[in-house]
Amino acid sequence: MPINLVDLGIIYSIAENDGLVEVDLTFTAMGCPAADFILDDVRERLLREDGVREVRITIVWNPPWTVARVSEAGRDALESWGLAV
Amino acid sequence: MATPAEFDEMMKSGDLIESRNEMTPDYLKELKHTLIVSGDTELISAPAYYLAAKRAPSINAFMTGIAIIQDELAHAHIAYHILEELGEDQEKLIFSRDPKSFRYPYAFDVPLESWTELVVANGMYDQAGFCLLGDIHEKCSYGPWKRGLNKVMAEENFHLRNGRTWMKRISLAGGSAKDDLQRAVDWMFPLSVEWFGLPDSLKMHSAQLEYRLKGLTNDQLRQWWLSLVVPYCEQIGIKVPSHKETRDGKDVWELDYPFPCEFDAEEKRWDFKQPISWDDVLERWRNRGPRNAEMVAMFQEEFHKFRNAHHQNGS
Repeated sequence: MPINLVDLGIIYSIAENDGLVEVDLTFTAMGCPAADFILDDVRERLLREDGVREVRITIVWNPPWTVARVSEAGRDALESWGLAV
Repeated sequence: MATPAEFDEMMKSGDLIESRNEMTPDYLKELKHTLIVSGDTELISAPAYYLAAKRAPSINAFMTGIAIIQDELAHAHIAYHILEELGEDQEKLIFSRDPKSFRYPYAFDVPLESWTELVVANGMYDQAGFCLLGDIHEKCSYGPWKRGLNKVMAEENFHLRNGRTWMKRISLAGGSAKDDLQRAVDWMFPLSVEWFGLPDSLKMHSAQLEYRLKGLTNDQLRQWWLSLVVPYCEQIGIKVPSHKETRDGKDVWELDYPFPCEFDAEEKRWDFKQPISWDDVLERWRNRGPRNAEMVAMFQEEFHKFRNAHHQNGS
């Protein structure tokens, strides 16, 4: 996919405290087949940052994700890839 | 249909063929054959993967497996739908053909019996499909198929990702999990190498290349696959019987076993001390492997049961 998770609108919050990063994120559907990959990617990418020693991810379903959460840049990216948003 | 001269002009110009009017009967025959192999391969991967996906280690993993199966069915549908536009009967192709007449790679006839074997299939068989279809996507002279493959290529990436992510995870886990992974690679790697068919030295003429239905020869495709799979396996600590050599400044991937050689499908074991001829391989392929009939029955039986019940209800 040509779109990052922030532009897709599934990252609800992120905070860092003394090397511990806490992320709240959701998925575009409860049966998301890429859920495992996304969790792996988020954890792996954050751990690559200097000073990050632990990542805690919480999956949240409220508020539910809708396409309204996709940013303008995200819409352009999806459209260029042939997906109507 | 086009005259031979009109058709030759089209082939030389590099333009895409968009309808039957622009084809010769021989081009149509080759195109249909290539589409049937592609459709059958995608279709049969669904029952093959499903029988292993049932053993997924978590709900998330199972959903990924099921999503891949759904993709494969959609890919099969693209190929069969194009065949229907070219005058074939889709329903007959899928539901009324003898199991042995399906034209998919032999590898799928050898049962995938665990999640580990499924993810190795995603990492190796889907990689083979990716190379074959990627080449067709780039070079194919038939416009409708070339465009249909846009969606297919994006989704095949997802399948590869599942294979590679899990192979790495299982290898890192070590112990008996890693032993299982190595055992799966040991029998599935040579089957994938075989997937690309006869070596170029034995296949002098290819109508598929002449008609731009594909762009790379069997050996070129096999080398491409090896260049992707061998380094990845080595990187995650899994052994494969192939190594790289440099000849005339070019990387060449050599196999460390006689190719082709004897395979025991029931035991899932290769005998690297027992070289065989390509005639032997072709005979094994023609006879099909252990799971051929069971997998074809999985979609054919349900279809006929449903249709019989439907007719009995008088509708």
